[in-house]
Amino acid sequence: MASRRRMLLKVIILGDSGVGKTSLMNQYVNRKFSNQYKATIGADFLTKEVQFEDRLYTLQIWDTAGQERFQSLGVAFYRGADCCVLVYDVNVMKSFENLNNWREEFLLQASPSDPENFPFIVLGNKVDIDGGNSRVISEKKAKAWCASKGNIPYFETSAKEGFNVEAAFQCIARNALKNEPEEELYLPDTIDVSGGQQQRSTGCEC
Amino acid sequence: MHAVTEDEEKWLAAGITGLQQNAFYMHRALDSNNLKDALKYSAQMLSELRTSRLSPQKYYELYMRAFDELRKLEMFFREETKRGCSVVELYELVQHAGNILPRLYLLCTVGSVYIKSKEAPAKDILKDLVEMSRGIQHPLRGLFLRSYLSQVSRDKLPDLGSEYEGDADTVSDAVEFVLQNFTEMNKLWVRMQHQGPAREKEKREKERSELRDLVGKNLHVLSQIEGVDLDMYRETVLPRILEQVVNCKDEIAQGYLMDCIIQVFPDEYHLQTLETLLGAFPQLQPSVDIKMVLSRLMERLSNYAASSADVLPEFFQVEAFAKLSSAISKVIEAQDDMPVFGVVTLYSSLLTFTLQVHPDRLDYVDQILGACVKKLSGKGKLEDNKSRKQIVALLSAPLEKYNDIDTALKLSNYPNVMEYLDDGTKKEMASVIIQSIMKNKSLISTSEKVEALFELIKGLIKDLEENLLELDEEDFHEEQNSVARLIQMLHNDDPEEMLKIITTVKKHILTGGAKRLPFTVPPLIFNSLKLIRRLQNQEETVADEDASATPRKIFQLLNQIIEALSSVPKPELALRLYLQCAEAADDCDLEPVAYEFFTQAYLLYEEEISDSKSQVTAMHLIIGTLQRMHVFGVENRDTLTHKATGYSAKLLKKPDQCRAVYACSHLFWVDDQDSIKDGERVLLCLKRALRIANAVQQMANATRGSSGSVLLFIEILNKYLYFFEKGVTQITVASVQSLIELITNEMQGENSTSDPTADAFFASTLRFIQFQKDKGGAVGERYEAIKL
Repeated sequence: MASRRRMLLKVIILGDSGVGKTSLMNQYVNRKFSNQYKATIGADFLTKEVQFEDRLYTLQIWDTAGQERFQSLGVAFYRGADCCVLVYDVNVMKSFENLNNWREEFLLQASPSDPENFPFIVLGNKVDIDGGNSRVISEKKAKAWCASKGNIPYFETSAKEGFNVEAAFQCIARNALKNEPEEELYLPDTIDVSGGQQQRSTGCEC
Repeated sequence: MHAVTEDEEKWLAAGITGLQQNAFYMHRALDSNNLKDALKYSAQMLSELRTSRLSPQKYYELYMRAFDELRKLEMFFREETKRGCSVVELYELVQHAGNILPRLYLLCTVGSVYIKSKEAPAKDILKDLVEMSRGIQHPLRGLFLRSYLSQVSRDKLPDLGSEYEGDADTVSDAVEFVLQNFTEMNKLWVRMQHQGPAREKEKREKERSELRDLVGKNLHVLSQIEGVDLDMYRETVLPRILEQVVNCKDEIAQGYLMDCIIQVFPDEYHLQTLETLLGAFPQLQPSVDIKMVLSRLMERLSNYAASSADVLPEFFQVEAFAKLSSAISKVIEAQDDMPVFGVVTLYSSLLTFTLQVHPDRLDYVDQILGACVKKLSGKGKLEDNKSRKQIVALLSAPLEKYNDIDTALKLSNYPNVMEYLDDGTKKEMASVIIQSIMKNKSLISTSEKVEALFELIKGLIKDLEENLLELDEEDFHEEQNSVARLIQMLHNDDPEEMLKIITTVKKHILTGGAKRLPFTVPPLIFNSLKLIRRLQNQEETVADEDASATPRKIFQLLNQIIEALSSVPKPELALRLYLQCAEAADDCDLEPVAYEFFTQAYLLYEEEISDSKSQVTAMHLIIGTLQRMHVFGVENRDTLTHKATGYSAKLLKKPDQCRAVYACSHLFWVDDQDSIKDGERVLLCLKRALRIANAVQQMANATRGSSGSVLLFIEILNKYLYFFEKGVTQITVASVQSLIELITNEMQGENSTSDPTADAFFASTLRFIQFQKDKGGAVGERYEAIKL
C-alpha cells in the first residue's frame, strides 16, 4: 500500500498569470511549445513517468490558473503535494515580487507538516526573450531570494527553447521523492465500521 | 449563517471519515489483490460523494480525497490488466456497483485504463463515458463527475500526434467529446439557477459562481488540443460554444463563458473570428456585464498589438478597429440603460486599442471621443466617481501615448468630452495635462494652441460655475504654481507670435480672480520681459517700423497686466513688478516708459502700502532700482530722487528713517555716471541720517534711561568711509575723525548699554581703516590722515 502511494509524486506549479506555467508543463511532458497565450482555468494535471534508481514513478504535475478569477473552487488540490514549483518571468518584476505571496499562500493552504523543510523549487522562465536583454531580475537576485527562503533550488528556464526544463523537472522529481509525506494514518474503529454510514447519505438515489 | 458553516464542517468531517474508512479497506484489498473487495470498498468510498449537504468548495475537498484514492485504484487496475485480467471485463464488472454515482466514477477510472490499453478506439470509450454520465442529473454531483471524466481523459484525447490518434479524423472526435461534455456541464450549471426556493437565490448564485471553473475548464481543454487549428476553431469550436452560450440565456453563464473564450483562446484566433465573436454580444441577456467582457477582449488585443510590430498587419487585414467600433455602438444602442460608467469604459478600452494599433490615425481617436460625447450629451455632468475616473483615464490615454500635447490639441472632440466633467474632475484633468507638458517639455508655440490649451485647463484658470467647495490652501497653491510653470514654458522664436501668445495668456489669466492673479501675473510679466530683452538685442539690426512686437507695445501690455493686481489687492507684488519693468525700460532707453513705471510704483507706495514694515522693504527696493537707472534726464531724476528721500525721512520708526536716508546718499553719487556726482547732497543725506541717529539716542535716554545702541552711528561711519574713499571732497578727514570719536565716546559713556554686535562691528570697521592705511598707494595716502 505504502509503495503504491510512493509511486505517485504530486507537484504543484504556481506563479503569476502569463509566466509560462502551462508552457513549462507542456514542454516537459509533451515536448511542445506554443507562443500563443492561453489562460488556464482552474487546475488540472498531466502525468509523466520518470525513472529513478530502477524504479518508475509517476509525476502528477498540476498546472494552475494564475488569474485569481479562474480559481473559483479554491485550492483543495494542494493537499498531498510533494513539491511546489514557483515560476516567475525574469522580464517581469511583479511576477518575481509575487513569489513570496505564492509561497506563503501555498504553505497556508496546503499546511504541510514540516513547512520549514517542504520542498519548493523556483524557476525563472523566459530567459530566451530578447536574448536576455529585457530581463529585469538578475540570476543573482533570484538566487539570493531563494537562499533566504531556506536554499530553494533555482533554475533559469526557457519553455520555448526547452532550455533547462528537463534538468529542472529532474530536480523537482528528486526533491518530491525526498519529501516524507504524512501518510494520514487511519485506523478503523474495530467495533463499528459502517454503522453510521447509511444514515449520513441523503439526497437522491444517484 | 455561522451555524450553517459549522454544520457543514461537521458534515465534511463525517464524509472524510467515511471515505477514509472505506479507503482503508480498499487499500487492504489492493494489497492482497482482491479485486472483488477493492470494487466493493471503492464503491462505498465513492458513496460519500452522494452527499447534498456540502457547498461546492467543501464538496471539492471531499472530491479531491476520493480523487487521490482513485489514482491508486487506477494503478491497481492497470496492474490487473498486466496480470491478465481483461480490461473489457473490468469495464463490465465495475458496472455492478449498486449506486450510479460510484458506478460512473469507477467506470471512468477503468475507462482511463481501457483507453491506455488501446484495446478499443479512444473515441468510442470516450463517447460511451460522456453519454453514460448523463445518468447524473444532480447539478453539483454531475458537474464534479464530468469534471473527473474530463480530468482522466485529458491526456488520452485522440489529438494530433497523440498516441491515441486513430486513422480517421480523430481530432474532431476529441473536440466532439469535449464539446459534448461542456454542453452537458453548462446545462447542469444553468439548471441550478432554477432549483430550490427563490429566497435562496443569493446562496445559489454564490454556489454557481464557485462551480464555474468546472464548466470553463472544458474551454481550456479545447484550447490545448493541438488539432484545433484556426479552421476548426472557426468552423466548429467557436460556433458550437457560442451556440451554447447564447441559447442558455443565463446571465451568469454568458458573462463568465464569454470571458473564458476570450482568455483561453489565442489572440490570432480572436482576430480572425472577430465578427463571429462580436456577433454574439448583442444576443446576450441585457443584464450581462458586456462592457467588462468586451473591455477585456480589447485589452487582450491591445497587448497583442503591443507585443510586436509584426502582428499589426493582422489587425489591418481584418479591419479590427471598424469591427470593434461597430460592435460597441451596437451594444450601447441595444442596452439603452447602460450606465455612463459602462459607456465610458467601453470607449476607453477602444481608445487604448486604437492608440496601440493605429497610432497614426488621429481621426479614429477623435471619432471615438466624438462617439463618447454623443452618448454623454443629455446626461449632464458626470456625478459618480467611477465614471469620472474612467473619463480621466480616457482623456489621459492620448497624452500618454503621444507624449505631446500638440496632438491632443488637434483632437476636436477632446474639449467636448471635458465639458461633461464636473469642476473637480476638470481641474484634475487640467493638472494631468500640465504634468504631461512638463514631463515632456512640450513646446506650445502658437497663440492658437495656447488658446486651445487654456480652454482645456480653464478649470485651473478661473472659477467655474459651481465652485462652492472650499479648496485646501496647499492644493490650491500647488495647482496655481503648476499654471505658473506652464506660463513660463510658452515660447516662440518669432516675436510677433510670442506677443500674440502673451496677449492670449493675458486674456485668460485676467479672468482668474483675486486668488489666482498673484500666481499667474508674475510669470507672464517675466516671460514678456524675456521677449523684450530679445527685441532689445535685435533692435539695433532690425528696425521694422510696422512691427507690433516692439518693447514699447509690450510695456503697455505689462502696465495693464500689473494694474490687474490692484483689484486683489497686492500692492507689494505690483510695486516689485513695476520696478522690474522700469529697469527693463531703462535698458531699452525708454525714459517716459520707465518714468511711468516709477510713477506707478510711487503711487502704490503712497496710497496702498501702509504697513510700516512693507514700507521699509518697498523703500529700499525703490532706492536700489532708482540708483541703477541711467535713462533719466536731470529733471525726472530730480523729481524721483527728491520723492525718495522725502519718503525715507517720513518712515515711522527712526532707525528705519535713518537707514533709508543714508541709503539715499547713493542716489547722488553713481560711479559710472558722470552726471551723478553731487557730493553736497551726499553729505546732506549723511548729515541728516546722523541727526536722526542722534534723535534715536536721545529718545532712548528719555524713555529708557540709557543710551541706545551706537549701531546706527557705525553704519553711517561706514557710508562716510565709502564716499571718502570714492574721493567725494565734501567728506573730509575731520568729519570721519569726529564720527569715530563720537562713537568711541558713546561706547564709553556712563549710560551706554553694552552691545556686542556694535562692538564687533566697530572693531572691524577700525581694522578696515588700519588695513587701508597699511595698503599704501593712493588709497593708503587718503587714509593716512585719519588718526585712530
